[in-house]
Amino acid sequence: MPARSILGLCGLTLLGLTGPVVAQAPSTGTDLKATIALNGFPCDKVVESKRNADSDYTATCKDGNRYRVYVDAGGRVVVKKL
Amino acid sequence: MSTRVPGRQLHRAMRTPRVAALAMIILLTACAHASRAPHAGSAESPVAPAAAPAAVTEAGSPPQPAASTPVTEPEAPAANAAAPVTAPSAPVASSTASQSVPGTSKSRPTKPSSGPKSAAVSPAPAPVATLATATAAASLPSKEAAAPPLDLKGLEQRLRDTRAIGLFTKLSLKNQVDDLLAQFKAFHQGQPGLTVAQLRQKYELLLMKVVTLLQDGDPALASAVSSSREAIWEVLTDPQKFAAIGYST
Repeated sequence: MPARSILGLCGLTLLGLTGPVVAQAPSTGTDLKATIALNGFPCDKVVESKRNADSDYTATCKDGNRYRVYVDAGGRVVVKKL
Repeated sequence: MSTRVPGRQLHRAMRTPRVAALAMIILLTACAHASRAPHAGSAESPVAPAAAPAAVTEAGSPPQPAASTPVTEPEAPAANAAAPVTAPSAPVASSTASQSVPGTSKSRPTKPSSGPKSAAVSPAPAPVATLATATAAASLPSKEAAAPPLDLKGLEQRLRDTRAIGLFTKLSLKNQVDDLLAQFKAFHQGQPGLTVAQLRQKYELLLMKVVTLLQDGDPALASAVSSSREAIWEVLTDPQKFAAIGYST
């Protein structure tokens, strides 16, 4: 029993260690939050995001501000305060 | 009475070992003094330069550097030449190299502690090695900081491939990089606008944004970008190097 539990613990540890190794892409909320901040708008955290179309989102921040984040025809990311 | 007699005999019996022990202690202290005396004499007499480095490694006293530094100079380049071989390209490998060097310097000082007791000539190479490794360890960070190889294409590709930042963020960063490059192009064309100081400020701000976004998800890339800061700035400010990167609006 102790050997099994030790093995199980080792397995769990290994599984836990693989977490940081396999990097995950950030969530849409994190991406939008970073984009809003990069464009000079305040946003602590995106609490809600709605997809309007391809590369077009409406994000609601924790402070209540709402932004439309989209890519225009020239390939530029545009953030508009709603 | 009968009980006191054995006690006195015991006392007498105990005196002889005590006296013997006292004699042994005196002999040992005399021997210790005798073993120290020739070293002190030899340090003052002709072998003084050889004994001086030994004192440097043991106590680290400053009066001897004049004698010890010229000895290390011939050895130091060899150690410096060997150091970059261990860390040719990756900056992460250099940390292991720098760790291994102090390890050797730690192991070395144990030898001189036993050395001076046995011979006066033998301690000389060991301090030279310790000082050489110490100088090599000291010069390692300066070498790394001096010549970080700039691979703009590689950095660009790594930024494209990283999963630490999302697509919108990458595109926003690209927009801002393009804006800054356009400003540099205008600057090199002599158009009135931003000064070098203002461009530097913008550049620093943008780089800080990139590093901030990367440092949690991709710390290796963040440090690579951060360490390439000056090299990239050199490319941006030098008109010929800037033209060579082939930026066009």
